[in-house]
Amino acid sequence: MSQIEAKQGPSATSIIGMIVFGAILMVAGFWAYTNGSFKAVEGPLADQGIPLAFGKTIASFGVLLILFKVLHIFFFAPLDEAITNRTKELEHTFGEAESLRSEMTQLKSDYEKRLTETEANAREQIQAQIKEAQDLKKELMADAQRKAEEYKQQAIAEIESEKRKALTDLRVHVTNLSLQATEKLLTENVDNDRNRRIIDDFLATVEVKN
Amino acid sequence: MEFLSNLTWLIAAGEAHGKGEGGKQAAHALEMSGLMFYVGLVALIIFGAAAVAKSGLNSKFFTKPLTKLFEQLYVFIQGLAIGTIGPHGRKYMSILFSLWLVVFVSNVIALFFPTSPTADLSFNLALAFIAVGYVQWEGIRANGVWGHFSHFAGPKLPIYLLPITLMIFIIEIISEVMKNVSLSLRLYGNIEGGHRAADAMNVLGQDLLIPFGAFLLPIKLLTCVVQALIFCLLFAVYLSLVTHHDHEEGHDHESHGEAAPAH
Repeated sequence: MSQIEAKQGPSATSIIGMIVFGAILMVAGFWAYTNGSFKAVEGPLADQGIPLAFGKTIASFGVLLILFKVLHIFFFAPLDEAITNRTKELEHTFGEAESLRSEMTQLKSDYEKRLTETEANAREQIQAQIKEAQDLKKELMADAQRKAEEYKQQAIAEIESEKRKALTDLRVHVTNLSLQATEKLLTENVDNDRNRRIIDDFLATVEVKN
Repeated sequence: MEFLSNLTWLIAAGEAHGKGEGGKQAAHALEMSGLMFYVGLVALIIFGAAAVAKSGLNSKFFTKPLTKLFEQLYVFIQGLAIGTIGPHGRKYMSILFSLWLVVFVSNVIALFFPTSPTADLSFNLALAFIAVGYVQWEGIRANGVWGHFSHFAGPKLPIYLLPITLMIFIIEIISEVMKNVSLSLRLYGNIEGGHRAADAMNVLGQDLLIPFGAFLLPIKLLTCVVQALIFCLLFAVYLSLVTHHDHEEGHDHESHGEAAPAH
C-alpha cells in the first residue's frame, strides 16, 4: 500500500482488481484441489508427514486477498482515520491551549507593564498636584496676609478717623456742656465767642496733658 | 436441526484424520470444505467485532469497549511497526493488523474447536506467501526491480569473484523462499503441536475421565498471542530489510544534500 493509497485510499480499480484476482485464485484453488492437480508433489510430501495441499493454499491465498482488502476498506481505513483525526484534534487542542497560555502570559506581562506605568504616572501626577496645591496654598496665604494687612491698615485708619471724629464731637459736646454749665453757674451773660475760645484753649491744654 | 446436523458433519468431516497416500497420519489437516468453514468463521468473527467497534468510532472519545480494545491493538501494532520498520512503518498498518487479526483469531478458534485454519499447513503457507510476496512487492517498489534483486547478490565484489556473487545470490534466493517455509511451519507446528499434545494428554486421562489436555489451555492461549505477534514481527522485520535502505538514503539526501552511494 503506497503512501498515496494510505492517504487517499485505494482506487476503485485496484479494489475490484484485487477482489477479482482473489476470486480467480479461489476458483483455481478449488479446481486444483478437486482435480488433484498437485498430487505429484503432494504425495511425496504426505509420505514424509507434511500435509500440504497446494489447491487449498491457492484458494486460501485468494480468500485472504479479498479478506484483507475488504477489511481495509470496511474497518482499518475508518479506524485509522478516526485515530488520526482524534490525534490531530488533540494536538490542535493542546496547541490552542499552549497558544492561549502564551497569549495570556503576554497579556499578563502587558498588564503588569501598564500597571507599573500607570502607577508611575499616578505618582507623578499626585506629586505635581501636591506641588501645585502647595504653591496655591502659599499664594493664598500670601494673598490672605496681604488682604488682612490691608484690612488691618484700613481698620486702623478708620479707627483713627472715628477716634478723631469722636474726639472732635466730644470736644464740641464738652465745650457745649461746659458752656451750659458755666452759663448756669455764673448766670452771667458773657461774650460767647470769647468764652468759647478760652474753653478751647483750656481743652487743648487738657488734651496735651492727657 | 438439519443445518446443525450439516454443520456438525462439516466440522467433523472437514478434519481429514485419515492417512496420507504414503500411509502416514496427517492429523487435523482439513478438507477444503472444512478449511473454508473455519476461514469463514474467522472472517465472521473479525467482521462482527469490527462492525461493533466501527459503530463506536463516531464520537470524539471512543466509549465502546470493543472500539477501545481495537484502538489499543492498533496503537500496539503501530508501535511494533514503527519500532521495527521505522517512521514509514505506519503505511503497512493495514496489512500488519489484518495478518495479526487473522492469525490471532484463527489461533483462538483452535482453543474451542477441534481444529483451526492455522492448524492447517496449506493455509499457513498461503499466509506466508502473502507476507513474503508483499515484502518482495514493497522491495521492488522501494528499490526498483534491479535494485531489489541486486541486494540478493550481496556486496559488490571484483569480477574474478563472480562465482561467489552467484553463490550468494542463490543462497539469498533460497533464504527468501525458506521464509515462506519457516513462517508457515512455525505457526503450524505451534498450533498443531498444541492440539497433538492436548490429544495425547486427554488419552492419558481417558480411563480416569480427566481431560488432562485442558491443563494446557493457558499455555495454548499464550501460544496464540505469541505466534500472532511473532508472525507480524517477522513480517515487519522482512519489510524493514527491504525498505530501510531506501528510507535511509532519503534521509541522507535530506540531511547532506548529496547523492547517496549506490548499493
